[in-house]
Amino acid sequence: MKEVIKAIGNVFISMPKGLFVTFKHLFIKPVTLDYPKQKNPMSPRYRGKHYLERYDDGTERCVCCGLCAAACPADAIYMEPDETEKGERCAKVYEINLLRCIFCGFCEEACPEEAIFLGQEYEFSAGDRDSFIWTKEEMLVQHPRKDNPLKRVIRRVRKVYGVTDKVK
Amino acid sequence: MFYSPVRTNASEAEKNEKLHLFKYVEDPQQKNVETFESRNGYSAWKKVLSSMSAEQVIEEVKSSGLRGRGGAGFPTGLKWSFVPKDSPKARYLCCNADESEPGTCKDRVIMERDPHAIIEGMAIASYAIGCHLMFIYIRGEFGECIRSMERAAQEARDRGHLGKNIYGSGYDLDIIVHSGGGAYICGEERALLNSLEGERGMSRIRPPFPAIEGLYACPTIVNNVESLATVPHIINRGASWYSSMGTEKSSGTKVFSLSGHVNNPGNYEVELGFSLKKLIFDPAYGGGMKDGKQLKGVIPGGASTPFLTPDMIDVNLDYESLASVGSMLGSGAVIVFNEDTCIVWTILKLIHFFRHESCGKCTPCREGTGWLEQVVRRIEMGQGEQGDIEKIEDVCGNIFGRTICPLGDAAVMPIQSAIKHWRDEWQYHIDHGSCKVKSEFSFQ
Amino acid sequence: MQGKVGVFVSIGIVMAEQVKKEQAVSGVPMVTATIDGREVTVPKGTTVLEAAREMGIHIPTFCWHPKLKSVGACRMCYVEIERMPKLQVSCATEVMEGMVIQTASEQVLQGRKAVIEFILLNHPLDCPTCDKGGECDLQNHTFAHAVDDSRYSFKKARYTDGTDGTTFDDKRLGPEIVLNRNRCILCYKCVRANKEAFGEYDLGVYERGNIAEINSAPGHEVDNPFSGNLVEICPVGALTNSDWRYKIRVWLTQTTSSICNMTSSGSNILFYKEKNHNKIYRVTSRMNDSIDDGWLPDVSRYGYQIATTEERLKTPLIKKDGKQVEATWDEAMTVIHNRFTEIAEKKGKVCLGGLASPYLDNDSLHSFNKLFRTVFKSNNIDFRSDYRMLPEGADSPYEMLVDQPFTIADIDDSDLIISFGSDLIREHPNEYLRMRKAYNFKRAKVVSINPYAVKSADIAELEVIHSIGRAETVLNGICLAAMEMGLVNNQDLTGKIAPATTAEAASDAGVTEDDLKEVARAISSAKKISFICGEMVSRSIARDTIASALWNLYLLFGFKDKGQMAILPRYANSRGAGSLGLLPSPSDGLRNTLSGLWGCFPESDPNNTDAMLALMRKEEISGFFIIGANPLMLYPDRQFVTDGLERLDFLVACDLFETDTTELADVVLPLSSWAEYDGDYVNLEGKVQHARQAIKPLYQSKPAYEIITMVAEKFGAPLFESIEACRKEVDELLSMTHSTKFPSQFLEVKPCYEDAEEEYPTPLLICDDPHHCGHRTEKSQSLSNFVSEAYIEMSPEKAEKLAVKDGESVRVESPVGKIVVPVRISDCIDNNVVLIPRNFASTQVTSLLMRKRRLDRVKITKVDE
Repeated sequence: MKEVIKAIGNVFISMPKGLFVTFKHLFIKPVTLDYPKQKNPMSPRYRGKHYLERYDDGTERCVCCGLCAAACPADAIYMEPDETEKGERCAKVYEINLLRCIFCGFCEEACPEEAIFLGQEYEFSAGDRDSFIWTKEEMLVQHPRKDNPLKRVIRRVRKVYGVTDKVK
Repeated sequence: MFYSPVRTNASEAEKNEKLHLFKYVEDPQQKNVETFESRNGYSAWKKVLSSMSAEQVIEEVKSSGLRGRGGAGFPTGLKWSFVPKDSPKARYLCCNADESEPGTCKDRVIMERDPHAIIEGMAIASYAIGCHLMFIYIRGEFGECIRSMERAAQEARDRGHLGKNIYGSGYDLDIIVHSGGGAYICGEERALLNSLEGERGMSRIRPPFPAIEGLYACPTIVNNVESLATVPHIINRGASWYSSMGTEKSSGTKVFSLSGHVNNPGNYEVELGFSLKKLIFDPAYGGGMKDGKQLKGVIPGGASTPFLTPDMIDVNLDYESLASVGSMLGSGAVIVFNEDTCIVWTILKLIHFFRHESCGKCTPCREGTGWLEQVVRRIEMGQGEQGDIEKIEDVCGNIFGRTICPLGDAAVMPIQSAIKHWRDEWQYHIDHGSCKVKSEFSFQ
Repeated sequence: MQGKVGVFVSIGIVMAEQVKKEQAVSGVPMVTATIDGREVTVPKGTTVLEAAREMGIHIPTFCWHPKLKSVGACRMCYVEIERMPKLQVSCATEVMEGMVIQTASEQVLQGRKAVIEFILLNHPLDCPTCDKGGECDLQNHTFAHAVDDSRYSFKKARYTDGTDGTTFDDKRLGPEIVLNRNRCILCYKCVRANKEAFGEYDLGVYERGNIAEINSAPGHEVDNPFSGNLVEICPVGALTNSDWRYKIRVWLTQTTSSICNMTSSGSNILFYKEKNHNKIYRVTSRMNDSIDDGWLPDVSRYGYQIATTEERLKTPLIKKDGKQVEATWDEAMTVIHNRFTEIAEKKGKVCLGGLASPYLDNDSLHSFNKLFRTVFKSNNIDFRSDYRMLPEGADSPYEMLVDQPFTIADIDDSDLIISFGSDLIREHPNEYLRMRKAYNFKRAKVVSINPYAVKSADIAELEVIHSIGRAETVLNGICLAAMEMGLVNNQDLTGKIAPATTAEAASDAGVTEDDLKEVARAISSAKKISFICGEMVSRSIARDTIASALWNLYLLFGFKDKGQMAILPRYANSRGAGSLGLLPSPSDGLRNTLSGLWGCFPESDPNNTDAMLALMRKEEISGFFIIGANPLMLYPDRQFVTDGLERLDFLVACDLFETDTTELADVVLPLSSWAEYDGDYVNLEGKVQHARQAIKPLYQSKPAYEIITMVAEKFGAPLFESIEACRKEVDELLSMTHSTKFPSQFLEVKPCYEDAEEEYPTPLLICDDPHHCGHRTEKSQSLSNFVSEAYIEMSPEKAEKLAVKDGESVRVESPVGKIVVPVRISDCIDNNVVLIPRNFASTQVTSLLMRKRRLDRVKITKVDE
């Protein structure tokens, strides 16, 4: 008898109670995202896909000094230098192997020319291994310059040493 | 014909037996060899060739106590005795007439007006070191001096004072008058020798000293014009006569070039040990401060020597006394500043000069003088920053004593002393962006 | 512990005493000083810096270079010396007895830090774009002294190219050198080295003070044959050269020690290579005081590019229907085996001949020798492809003089250096620099006896320019002058030499009597002599006559006791090839050793290159194997070689590239360059040096040793069990007690003159360009940037006579050939001689020459456009 009463109580009290919670959630803002349609805003210091910066006049900032490759703990960066028509140093080949990259951001920190940044993008799945080798052309996109607090420190040092940007 | 319009105390020298250098400088005839000969000229050279050995000459000059008049004050006779006696190489004598220290104009007067005295002195010095070809390196801007010396050299050759077998003694001697390119650094003996060889006017490393390996790697003696012009008088009148003048350690007379804010700027030959105060204020010499202004400071020995303040000018003009108050006799260019002078502006002018004249060989001087000029200019322009004075002091310390030649020292010594004596004025410049004294000698 | 220290100290004292004694015996007084608390005893005159380096104490420097005079400009090497109030520069301070020196005291470090701060004031700090980054003295010292901030707050002084105000200021100074004045720290090392060590004046300092700058002389390019060294000694990245510029970072490269294949002294070099790319990026010097003294001529520095060029032969080629087509190694080997066997069966094995290149290493040369002597049973083998009418037999005066010992380092302390018949700068650049060094530091007397005014004679106290083709008369004249002046007492010589008096000899040779007397006086009064004879003796058909005259001089003045005299070999392993017996008829000792090693030695007629070519024309040699050599381009009679090679039944040629000779070949095999395999080379002193493999063989090429052993295996007669066995045999040959022979008495010298021809009035000399060596360097991109085509070098007077200007073309005709080359007017040549370099295949300069002539004479006419 006792069990029967308990069961009836469950049906009429606990279940509506639980269902009420479920029902209540129909009106609460969900914590998950509707992923392909909605995207999570990343923190400003998130380290995602790499970008190569340009100067305001369109020339590449990267001079192919090799410091990013030297700093890279995963040995993911490969580069070959070249000479521009004017005789300045530039990168002929600049490749990052994303399968090796561990997104530590050392390359960004090492860069003395403020050329490479780790951006916000994190969607880079692909069907074949070759598409994970990112070339210079793929990374060199017009991209609003990211204001990295670390960069500010570097800029100050550069100012002290009198190194000024090509374009003010 | 152009004479540099420099006032001298020749009228006093004519009366005073002791003042030998300037005795005839106001006489336009003195530069002619006949006049010079009639005034006992070349008699010392004849005496040396006929009756003295090289050692005797050196001994005579040594015991006279003559010290180099170019700035360092090294005993002249001692310098000559450094030339190796047994070296198979040729020896050279070079007269340093590259007088470019700011404020100095004594050699110029002697070269223009009494060139034969120099040639006679050079000849005696050449005999003492066994040299048969002597050079005189004249500053390029001194056009009249070059003409005058060249004419005198030709006259001396014509009259047989120079050339082959002089006075039948078998001694050969000739002179080359060389005009420099007008670089301050070439007044430094090793840079002078480089320039004379056709190299860049840059100082050489020492050792070897020029007396061992100088011009064309041969023993070379480099002497100042004034020292050499004194030598004939020492030979003629004896070492004891010369050493009787002046003080115990600084014997003889010296020409002081007085300039700046005084009533009578000019060249004054006085005995060493003469009072600086007297030189500035005595009517026979400086004649006091111009326009009755107050004295602010004095540079006693050319632009490269430390400043003296008014309370220090009661000093005697000789090597030891000036050293005891922290300055130097240098080349004897006394520059007087009045109370209206901005000391920062003065230093800016000086450091600009030294920056411009730095040869660029050694790092501290090349880069340091440029830096100093920029900092001093910033202060003078009223954009100085706190800590600039300390920065200047530190940079000066990094240059002082760390360069090949004395140009680095010369550039920083006046700055160091100016900061020491007038620090408040520098600080005022930085704090207020303007000068404490309002005068024409500043940017404000 | 204390006991141990005591032992060490006492050993130290004993050793110091011993050193002192030894030095006292050799006459150099010793001084003892204390550096950083340790005592050191050094010869008087040693600088503090050198003494400290000897003790292993590192003092940083910028402007100091061990081979240049100290100037004390950078002020980086401060030390503190007791009883001296100021800091002293250690590079210019000599160690004095009892000096107490501190090299790392607080004051010293402060002083150095200040210097770095001063240097960095106007340094652009463009390390990311600077190729010196990673090996930069300034970077290293800055890090070592922790100069991490600057108190300089003004705008840095900049040289700009004037277009956009950037820091970019790269100025091309010459074909290879690029200058960036912003980076320059004005240590003046480049200018000093250029002037002191190389005697060149194309680089200088301009302006004064803090705007002083290094620049090329107005209107001149920095293109002297030693200009690469300027880049190497630059402490910062102010001077860079185009082969290394913007190519790779230094920390990504590995180094391999090797030796240079372009000079006969075998300069020690360092290859900078990248393993993964299998590529060499540059060459720097590996300072060896006894050989190269730290300087590399450009031909050594940029010569490696012959290995990395795209023009390399990539696969074996076989001629089919008159056309060379690509093939595999197996096919090529089969063809070689079949055709050689065919010829041998038809005509006998003596019908085969071989020519090796003196660039090859010992293993290759020895295996080539063994292949011919044991497998082909032939004595038709040689390595000399550019000397006409060579004598046979190892006992000719010429061969004896080639075999004389010569020590490069001994040039340093010679007080008389004579260069005879040698344009040193073109032939022996390292020895030329040694001569300059002896002149600069020891004031050695330099005498140059040459048929024209060579460039290296600018330091010569006495320059004797004799009529061309009269070399032996000059030498006879010197002997006669010495005898006439009574400097030597030996009457045996009279009657053996042709002009009887000095006056006659002088007038015959076109020199003055005083000159001859002066030379004789110089030789007899010198204490140590280096007598360097060069290519003009070797290439002359009268080489034996000249060598005899040299021997007379040698014996007359007693050179044995006071100096060295030798005809220096030209190529990297010429001496090795001789010592290994790669000659048609090696000396008896060598022949015995070889037959002992191999158990046999062929008895057939020995034929050298000349004789082989002559036999080819008679079709008595039908199969020929050329490895590395290019006789068509270098042998001084092109028609003769072409005739010979074209009549061959079968020709195998191995080389790095397609050459004139490989075009005629039936089988062409790609050869590896010296950078691609391990090998030993014997330099002109007889010193064996090892060149390590820097990169793997490129394309399908193979080292010569492998090719030769493959051929031997194909013939069923493997040469060696392994390469070690080969090296063992080589070692045995080289370690043979080598007795240098001297003629016991004076030799007869009868000058042989050739009469001038009316129609062809101008004597022509074939030489190497200072930037090139042999037939291969033309393919080096950098070297061809300096000079890429042949020219005819003549004096201004000659050019005026012909009414030609610099760069205009002239037609040069000889009885047998005709070429058209541009004119180069040079002050370094006179006496009516013209020079044409032989390093450029397209010019075919050897087509002007005739092999039986002593002098080549040509007619020069202007080409009308």
